[in-house]
Amino acid sequence: MNQSNTATTEPSQHNTAQRLFSNLFGRRSLDEWSLGSVLIIGVLALFICVVLPIYTLLSKSVENRAGDFIALTNFSQFFATPSLYNSINNSLFIALLSTTIVTSLSFLTAYGISRTRIPFKGLFRTILVLPILAPSLLPAISLVYLFGNQGIIKELLMGESIYGPIGIIIGSCFWTFPHALMIMLTALANTDARLYESAEVLGASPIRTFFTVTLPAAKYGIISVAFVVFTLVITDFGVPKVIGGQFNVLATDIYKQVIGQQNFEMGATVSVILLLPAILTFLTDRWLQRKQSALLTSKAVPWTAPKRQWLDRVFLGLMLLVSFIILSIILMAVYASLVTFWPYNLSLSLKNYNFDLMDGGGWAAYWNSIQMATFTAIIGTGFIFFQSYLVAKLPGFKVLKWFFHLFAILPLAVPGLVLGLAYIFFFNSPNNPLNGIYGTMTILVVCTISHFYTVCHLTATTALKQIDGEFESVSASLKVPQIKTFWRVTLPVCMPAVLDIASYLFVNAMTTVSAVVFLYSYNTSLASVAVLNMDDAGDIAPAAAMAVMIMLTCMLARLVHWLLGNVLLKNTQTWRKK
Amino acid sequence: MSNQAYLELQNIHQMFGTHQALQDVSLNIQEGEFVCFLGPSGCGKTSLLRIIAGLDMPTSGEIFQAGNNITQTPIKHRDFGIVFQSYALFPNLNVADNIAYGLASQQFSRQEKHARVRELLATVGLSGSEGKYPAQLSGGQQQRVALARALATSPGLLLLDEPLSALDARVRSHLRQEIKQLQEKLGVTTIMVTHDQEEALTMADKIVVMNHGVIEQIGSPQNVYTHPSTPFVAEFVGEMNFFKAQHSGAGMMQSGALILQCNPGTETTFGDDVQLAIRPEDIRFNCRADAENTLEANVLHLEFLGSRVRSLLQIDSHETPIIADISMNEMSGLNLAQGQSIRCQLPADRLHIFGGQA
Repeated sequence: MNQSNTATTEPSQHNTAQRLFSNLFGRRSLDEWSLGSVLIIGVLALFICVVLPIYTLLSKSVENRAGDFIALTNFSQFFATPSLYNSINNSLFIALLSTTIVTSLSFLTAYGISRTRIPFKGLFRTILVLPILAPSLLPAISLVYLFGNQGIIKELLMGESIYGPIGIIIGSCFWTFPHALMIMLTALANTDARLYESAEVLGASPIRTFFTVTLPAAKYGIISVAFVVFTLVITDFGVPKVIGGQFNVLATDIYKQVIGQQNFEMGATVSVILLLPAILTFLTDRWLQRKQSALLTSKAVPWTAPKRQWLDRVFLGLMLLVSFIILSIILMAVYASLVTFWPYNLSLSLKNYNFDLMDGGGWAAYWNSIQMATFTAIIGTGFIFFQSYLVAKLPGFKVLKWFFHLFAILPLAVPGLVLGLAYIFFFNSPNNPLNGIYGTMTILVVCTISHFYTVCHLTATTALKQIDGEFESVSASLKVPQIKTFWRVTLPVCMPAVLDIASYLFVNAMTTVSAVVFLYSYNTSLASVAVLNMDDAGDIAPAAAMAVMIMLTCMLARLVHWLLGNVLLKNTQTWRKK
Repeated sequence: MSNQAYLELQNIHQMFGTHQALQDVSLNIQEGEFVCFLGPSGCGKTSLLRIIAGLDMPTSGEIFQAGNNITQTPIKHRDFGIVFQSYALFPNLNVADNIAYGLASQQFSRQEKHARVRELLATVGLSGSEGKYPAQLSGGQQQRVALARALATSPGLLLLDEPLSALDARVRSHLRQEIKQLQEKLGVTTIMVTHDQEEALTMADKIVVMNHGVIEQIGSPQNVYTHPSTPFVAEFVGEMNFFKAQHSGAGMMQSGALILQCNPGTETTFGDDVQLAIRPEDIRFNCRADAENTLEANVLHLEFLGSRVRSLLQIDSHETPIIADISMNEMSGLNLAQGQSIRCQLPADRLHIFGGQA
C-alpha cells in the first residue's frame, strides 16, 4: 500500500517540476537560446559602448575636478563667463543662417532633379553629393586658399575677412549640403500624379498647385532637413577650427577646454549644452517619421514633369551654379595640394604629399585611417546587421529587444565630439577594467561604430522588415536551424543593404574627426586628425593634400561599392529578375 | 489507445493583454482528417493554428499530438508542415532548393534529395520546374511549391493558413480540388484556416466554425449547413432569413401576426423568445393551399443571378421582407413578376429554431 502510494505521487511531483522547467526553458530550442545569448551580448555591448560613456559624461558635468558632486555649479560658471556664453550666440547665429541657406538650396536643387526636365540629372546628382566624401575640413582649407590673406579671389569679400562667421557658414553649407539633398530627394520623390491632375482639372494655377500640392507633400522632409542641418552645423568643430579665427563656437570651446586647457569638467558641461539641440532634432525626427508614413499610399501614381521651358532653364542655371561652386571648392583643395609653395612657386609637384616630413602622423596616419575604416566597415557591418537581424527575426526576448532598439537609436542624438569626450571619461578611468583599450586602434573602431550606429541599424532593420516574416517559422517547421536560414536566405536577400552599411561606415570612418580627435594616440593618429593638426601647425598645403587623399580613398570605396552592387550582385542575384 | 484522436486540444485559452483571443477551445482531430477552421477575421482561427504549430503559446490548456503532450515543445521538435498565406518561399533559392530545404538537415544523399524533389514536383503537377525561381512562377505555382516544401519531410500534420486567399477565383477553385485530392491520396491529417465558407464546405471532412474566440459548431459540411447550431453559424455558412418569434404552444411559434408550425423537439417552452430561420432556397412556391405554413406574399424585387432568381418577398402582416431563391427551372413555371402576389410555404422541417435573441 505504502509502496504504491509513493509510486503514484513521485511521477506527479516529477511532472510538476518538469512542467515548471519546460515553462521556463523548454519552449525555446537550443539554437534559439544560443542566438538569444548573442542578442544579450549585443545589448551589453551597446550598453557599455554607448550608454555608460554618456552617463559618465553627464555625471562629470555636475562634478568638480576632485570628483565631488557640485550640482549645477559648472553650468553657472559657464554662463558667468562672457567668452563662453558668447559662444552660444555665435553657434546659434551660424547654425540658423547655415540651416536657412542649406534648406532652401537643397530644396531647389532636389526640385530640379526630381521635378523638372533638365538634362544631365545623374551627373548633377553625383556632383552635388561629392562633398560627403570629403572631411568637413576640406572646404575650410579651400576657403583659405580662395578668400584667405593670400587667396586668389579675396577681393570678392570686399575687405571682409574669411576667418570668422563668413568662412564658417560657407564651409558648413558645403559639407552639410549632400546630407540635406538626400533627405530632400526622398521627400520629393513621393509624388502622386492624381493630385496634380485633380488640381489641374479644378483649374488651379501652377503657383497655387505648388503651394497646395507640392509643398505640403514635402513639408516633413523640409522640417527634417532643417533640424538635421542645424544639428550638424552646431556640433561640427572641423570648419570653425580651421577657418573660425577668433570667432568662438560651442564645438571649438569643448575642444579648447579639453585639449588646450585640460579642463575636462567644463568640456563636459559644454557637451551637455551641445546635447540639447541634438536631442531636440532626434525627437523631432522620430515624430516626423511617424507622420510621414501615413502620407504614402501604395496606390500613388508617379508624376512626370511636364515641359516648362523657362522653369527648366532657370533650374538648369541653378544646377550649373551650385555644381560649379562645389567643384571649385573641391578642385581648389586639389590644386592647392599640388602647388609647390603657395603663392610664390606655383609649379605643380607632389612635395606636399611627403607627409612624413611634417608633424601630424605622416603617411602612417593615412594607413591607420585605412586600417581603422576597414575594421569599422567589416566588424561594424557584421555586428550591426546580425544584431538587427536578431531584433527583427528572433522570436521572444521582447524586453531585451526594446532595450536594444533604444540603445541603437541613442547615438543619433549624440554629437561625435560629445561621444569622444564621453569615451575619455569612461574608458580612461583607472578603475574601468576596459581601460586597456584606451589609446589603441580598438577604441577608435569601437567609437566610430557607436558614433554611426543608428543609421546603419535603421538601414538593416528596413531591409529585414521587407522580408517575409514567416521565413523563420517555415524553417523551424522544416527543422532547419535558424542560423542556417540566416546564412542561406536572409543574408543573400539583404546583400544590397549590407553593402550600403559597409560603404557608409567606411566613408564616415575615413572622414570623421569629431569623436576620434580625443581618442587617438601617438601610434594611432588618423588621416582626418592629421589634416587638423597640420593645419594647426601652419602646414596648410599638406593638410589639403591629406584631405584630398581621404576624398580619393572614399571615391575609390564608393566605386568598389558600385562595382560590387552592380556587377557582382547582378550576376549572383538572377533570382531578383522576373 | 486505438480510439484516441491524433490531435487533441484541451481547454485552450489565449490572452493578448486584455483581449481574449481564444476562450476554452477543445477539439479532437482524427488521423487522416481534413479539418477547416472557418470564421470571420479576428475570430481566433489563425491564433489557434499558430498555437498548434507552436508559433504562439496558449495562456492555458494542453495539446496532444499522437498521444504526446506537445504544449511546450519547441517548433523544431514538432511534427508538422505549414503553408502560409504568403507562401514564404525563399526568393533567392530555386524551386528544387526550396523544396529540398528541410531535407538537408536529415542526412539525405544528393540522389535521394533529387529523387524526392522530382517526386514531389510530380505530385503537385510542376514537373520540370526545378531550376526556376519563385519570382518566375505564377501565384498558383508558388502555392504548389510551398505545398511540396511542406510535404517534403512527410509530416504527420499539414497546416494551411488561408492558402488560397491570395489567388484569383478561377485558380482558387481549381487548386481547391487539387489540394483535396492530394490530401486524400497522402492521407495526411490536415488543418486549413479559411474565411471562405465555400472553400470549407467543398474541402473539409469536418468544419470548425469559430467566432469571437470560441467554437460555435463542429461538424461535417452537410451537418453545419443543414443544422446550424447557432444563429451565427446559420448566417455565416450560407444565407438565412431570420424572424423574431415567441413559443406559443406545442410546435407553434408566433411571429407578429403569423403563427408558424414547427417541428417539435426543441428545448424552448411556452412564452420563450426565439429566432426562427429559413434558408432562401428552402422557401417553396407551387404548394397546396392546405399545406402547413403557407403565406401570401408580395414580390418586391427580382434579381437575376444566372442559375437562379433571387426574390425579395413582403409577407402579409410582417415587417421585414424575406429573401427566397427560385431555380430557373421552377421560375419558368411560375412566371413571377415584380409587384405580383404569390403563395409560398415555409416548410416546418426546414425551419430552424434558435433560443433567445441573437
